[in-house]
Amino acid sequence: MRGPRTRRTPAALLAVAALLTACTAAREEGKDPDAPAPGTLRVLASSELSDMAPVLEQVEKDTGVTLRPTYTGTLDAVKMLATGKTDGRYDAVWLSSNDYLRLRPEAAEKVVSETPVMSSPVAIGVKPTVVEGLGWKPAEVTWSQVERAVRDGRLTYGMTDPARSHSGFSTLVSVASALSGAQSALTDADVTKARPRLKEFFRGQKLTSGSSGWLASAYARRGDVDALLNYESVLEGFKNLTVIRPKDGVVTADYPLSSLAATDVATREDVRRVAEALRTDAVQRLITDHTRRRPVVASVPPAAGLDTGRRRELPFPGSRSVADGLLDAYENELRRPSRTVYVLDTSGSMEGERLSRLKTALTNLTGDFRDREEVTLMPFGSRVKSVRTHVVDPADPERGLAAIRRDTGELRAEGETAIYTSLRKAYDRLGADEDAFTSIVLMTDGENTAGAEAADFDAFHRGLSDDRRDIPVFTVLFGDSDRAELEHIAELTGGQLFDGQGSLDGAFEEIRGYQ
Amino acid sequence: MRRIAGIVLAVLLIGGVVAAVVAGRDSEETGTATKTVRMVIGSEKAEFFADPDVVKALAAKGYTVEAETSGSWAMEGLDLEGYDLAFPSSRAPAAELAARYEVRGTLPRPFYSPLVVVARRGAADVLARNRLVTLDGRSRGTLRMAAYLDAAERDRTWQQLEGAEKYGELTGTLSISSTDPESSNSGALYLAAASYVANGGKVVASDAEVERTAPLLRKLVSVQGAQQSSTDAVFRDFVSGAGNPLVLVYESQVAALLDERPDAGDLVVLYPDTTVNSDHTVVPLTGIGEELAGLLGADPRLRELAARHGFRPQGDLAEFAEATADRTAYLKQRLTGVRQAPVPTSTVLRELARRAHG
Repeated sequence: MRGPRTRRTPAALLAVAALLTACTAAREEGKDPDAPAPGTLRVLASSELSDMAPVLEQVEKDTGVTLRPTYTGTLDAVKMLATGKTDGRYDAVWLSSNDYLRLRPEAAEKVVSETPVMSSPVAIGVKPTVVEGLGWKPAEVTWSQVERAVRDGRLTYGMTDPARSHSGFSTLVSVASALSGAQSALTDADVTKARPRLKEFFRGQKLTSGSSGWLASAYARRGDVDALLNYESVLEGFKNLTVIRPKDGVVTADYPLSSLAATDVATREDVRRVAEALRTDAVQRLITDHTRRRPVVASVPPAAGLDTGRRRELPFPGSRSVADGLLDAYENELRRPSRTVYVLDTSGSMEGERLSRLKTALTNLTGDFRDREEVTLMPFGSRVKSVRTHVVDPADPERGLAAIRRDTGELRAEGETAIYTSLRKAYDRLGADEDAFTSIVLMTDGENTAGAEAADFDAFHRGLSDDRRDIPVFTVLFGDSDRAELEHIAELTGGQLFDGQGSLDGAFEEIRGYQ
Repeated sequence: MRRIAGIVLAVLLIGGVVAAVVAGRDSEETGTATKTVRMVIGSEKAEFFADPDVVKALAAKGYTVEAETSGSWAMEGLDLEGYDLAFPSSRAPAAELAARYEVRGTLPRPFYSPLVVVARRGAADVLARNRLVTLDGRSRGTLRMAAYLDAAERDRTWQQLEGAEKYGELTGTLSISSTDPESSNSGALYLAAASYVANGGKVVASDAEVERTAPLLRKLVSVQGAQQSSTDAVFRDFVSGAGNPLVLVYESQVAALLDERPDAGDLVVLYPDTTVNSDHTVVPLTGIGEELAGLLGADPRLRELAARHGFRPQGDLAEFAEATADRTAYLKQRLTGVRQAPVPTSTVLRELARRAHG
């Protein structure tokens, strides 16, 4: 039913992201004097586990085994396992959940044993004033009520990108299961049936993010988003959110520590000892108190404040076609499309290898653009050289993508570097738009040398209307660009800095999670 | 010397060939030096081998054990070079491993444990009210498999059951969560029990019988969506309050939980009226592995500890009854009224699992 391009999209996304992660990991290893070391476990871990530092310290004290985590998206980690990229590089894998992993036999067979360590369900955190306004009783709220509030324009929310983050994916599965009325594990037919309702539901999504961390700061900055969808443990970290586990069902992450077939017996014995230590009463108590996740041993109660009322567990899809189909529908059809202006430095200093790297990166990115996405290319030197906008039309996606590639091919390096003047043009180009995730990507290989100054831009930004001030600039460090300058722009606009020095492809790819 | 003779005698009762080898070894052993035994075991036995009392009892006999867990059917995918024994949770995967590593003779089966379904009281009460379960006491009952399979066949939901509306979490298709039958033993044994009932109380053997039972098994599995690959994992989810209201686990896991925490709140243990025992079967790969297998079956202290962990030692009902006397509110001491379904051959079982998984 869908074109081959769109069906391939999630896989392609993952492939590039995995490559990026692999490069990062390789670099880190280069820095690291003792790559594989006895008594140290190199753990490929879901980003969500970065809150476990004090727990890992305790486990190290208890077992003498040091855990050295490398954080990545859960779906990227599965891809790495499936393609053998973890062999010899990691001693254990610790994901939010092995549900998605199990759908890929090539990845599942790399795992020897798995030990669930704690659990956290998907939940919705809502501002207390909004809960009150809606007349909700937190213990009684259902997904249908959430849906109704969204439809009535009384609830907006943010969530992480399901293609990159397991919290986003679990949220998507929860919502799709609940709104499709599926009584058991989701099927393709359920997803098809639920499309109109899901589309309506996702119109309420005002924030998307590649990570829970950025989602939190964007939420705090915006102030006009009513709720966040994420794991209960993440939402519990906010001071002013009422955390609701919808009554009609949730998907729960159980954080299994997994040992790997490619490692030796001694390594797996260390993994086992760590898993055992993680399940002692003392550590389980530390986990629930510190991270607000739920214990998996009966002798330790969940941290105070975690509601122990039972919830139906919504089954995770049992086949890859359903999981990937859902992801694909979300990206290309259900979510609000993205609208992005790429402000690209093509000054004289980009001549040669830098320009060709930029061209390659942009060309590769055309494999990732979603249906309905609007992409504007704004190359600049001493001034903006051209403004070309293309839309990926679901009826003929290839036409828009080919046009982007053609424009990319025509980029020429010439002129000075007018960062701020060009950025202002980008804002001029973007109006307030209720129906798209709007953002600006700024890639530059040098400092600002022409046109408006930083202070001018700050003043310009202050003068923007509220909704345009919400448009973030994601900045990409490249060549000789000035980190402080780009950090300032990201901070001012609520964006984020990405490092494109090692892999420009990788940086562009990572930003996709925020668009 | 008397002690050794005692062991040999007890082992003889279990398996003559193994005993002969153990006896041969014993005569060469000189005494107290600790021998390290490396083994790969089903996840449900991890706590037993990690129990300090078990460690001590083994140390007293001169053994230190290093155990690694794996799905029973997944053990085939492991390189067992350097291991002394594999200890899957039933006969079929053990037999395949034995064939592959050319282990001859009867494989020792020191203890067994029936499959049970754990539930919370609300779910158990609703099932009882709808005649799917007979409760004997508040925390123990029998699941009527034929009635359950009939409900599954008709895609019955909790909402259609009388009394379920009181419990918000009881919605969706009525189903028991099991592990993945292609990688884990308890999931495969679930299919063995279900196929036996669906086949009119006869073990599935022919292609025609596979054909006939496959659609129901497919249904039992597909409603679950993604399945866990270890019995420990599904049980942990249950304990942490996540997951499906009905979960298939080993009786031993429940017994171990109750040993730690005698008051398990609103836990209810449901014994399917047709079930399958998990016969924990040792595949000795080295002489040391054989020694340990013998010891597990024969040493009174280890048998007692196994019983305390909820395993039923082979050949003597009294040991289990005694060890679990404080847990009878939840556990049946005798499995009267529980029919033991024979397990299909491993070829048939694999085919059933493959088809069920789709």
